[in-house]
Amino acid sequence: MNLKKRTSFGFGKGDTGTFRPQLTSLVDVMAIILVFLIKTFSTEGNIITPSSDLELPVSTSQKKPSPHWSIEIARNAVMSEGTFVASTTAFAKQDALLIPELLKWLEDKRRLRNDTTSQALIQCDKEVPYAIVKKVMYTCSKAKFTDFSVLVIQEE
Amino acid sequence: MKLSLFREHKIPSDQGDDSEIDVAPVMNMFIILVTFLISMAVFTHVAILEFTLPPNVNAGLDQSKGKPKLRLTVRVGSDYMAIVLGDKLLDSLPVEKGSFPFNSLAEKLNARRRETSLQDEIVIASRDEIAFKQVVHVMDICREAGFSKVGLSSATANPEAGK
Repeated sequence: MNLKKRTSFGFGKGDTGTFRPQLTSLVDVMAIILVFLIKTFSTEGNIITPSSDLELPVSTSQKKPSPHWSIEIARNAVMSEGTFVASTTAFAKQDALLIPELLKWLEDKRRLRNDTTSQALIQCDKEVPYAIVKKVMYTCSKAKFTDFSVLVIQEE
Repeated sequence: MKLSLFREHKIPSDQGDDSEIDVAPVMNMFIILVTFLISMAVFTHVAILEFTLPPNVNAGLDQSKGKPKLRLTVRVGSDYMAIVLGDKLLDSLPVEKGSFPFNSLAEKLNARRRETSLQDEIVIASRDEIAFKQVVHVMDICREAGFSKVGLSSATANPEAGK
């Protein structure tokens, strides 16, 4: 083996005097990354993109989500399909279970879309107290939603 | 002019040292593939947990069907967790220093499920101050114990007093 041709840090000097990088080690790294990415590649993907404003709870559930009417409960706001609907601080301390702003929004949207679906998907931040979730669910039930599911991060 | 007779012939191992494979096109292809795969990669998978609301919230109690059906209920509070059937307290598990006794709850639920005929439905009644992640954890425990239909409800401060 000709050791004279090997220079430090993977750079070698070509016949014309120019330095040429030794790409072999880089190809090895790229091959490993490629194998890892192909292994984790999912052809299904996620049909539903969780809202960026919230941190979803972790669950062992394996059931795949399907697109439904989405209601997001962040720490400070209740949103539906990305639109701000009500502030949680406004209704958190009230005794009433109904959230009028949310009910109005849901009913208006139902009327506009002529939608009669009964399925709602709740995306809720993991630190939100149950009192707020309860009020949102109650309001949804008043807007004729009967089948609920909650979006969670699947535990590995 | 040299005669071919005097041409230098290298032994095969020396010839191998001089020849280099051009890996630049391979690198180009790898970079494109890695970029594509990273952009398409899904690092977290989402799932759903299905639940129902109590019948009196959704459609009102159906009086024609007679008495409401008794369901096993898990009470989740910041002071204690409990398994209740109707107004009868079956198990009580204290919450110590904010640590919820989920393992004990799973064991008790499995035992209660074997004892009773109520093997499908369960209700989780949580106190208002409980974080939603704890409720989801209890839902997981109930589902793993074999209860296929999970309902969510609200718990009173003192179940025996009904307040």
